[in-house]
Amino acid sequence: MRQDYAKFVDRNAEIIAISPDSAEKLRDHWNKQQIPYPGIPDPDKQILDELGQEFKLLKFGRMPGVIIVDSQGAIRHSHYGNNAGDIPETDMLLALIDKLES
Amino acid sequence: MVSHSTGAQAPQFDFVDTNGVSGRLSDYAGKKHVVLVLMRGLW
Repeated sequence: MRQDYAKFVDRNAEIIAISPDSAEKLRDHWNKQQIPYPGIPDPDKQILDELGQEFKLLKFGRMPGVIIVDSQGAIRHSHYGNNAGDIPETDMLLALIDKLES
Repeated sequence: MVSHSTGAQAPQFDFVDTNGVSGRLSDYAGKKHVVLVLMRGLW
C-alpha cells in the first residue's frame, strides 16, 4: 500500500488507517515502515466501534475493513479485506476511486 | 463488498494521528476522497 500511495494521491484520495493499537506502538510501526499516510491509534476502539457498528462491518479481530468516503463526505463502499493482512488489495481500491472520479 | 448508492454521510469523528496532529473526517469533505482502513491491530 505504501508504494502505491502516490496512485491514491493522484486520484485525489487520502488513506487513513485506524488501529486498536496504542499510540506508542502505532507510531513506532509507522516510523519503522515509513508509512506516508496518517495512522490513528484507537486503543479504546471508540472510532472503530462507531464505524464497525455503523456498517455492521467488522467481525472484529479477524479481517480488516475498508470504508470509502467520497469527496462529498458520502460513503460509497464498505467491505472486509480478503485476507488477514493489514490492507486490502490496492488495485481494487484504486478502481473504486476511479469510479468516484469519473 | 457493499456499495452504497444512497450516499449516506460518513460519521464524523475527531482523531489524533501518530504525529500528534488532530483532525476530523469532515476536514476532507469538499477536498478529497478518503479510504478508511480499519486495521485489526498489529502483532
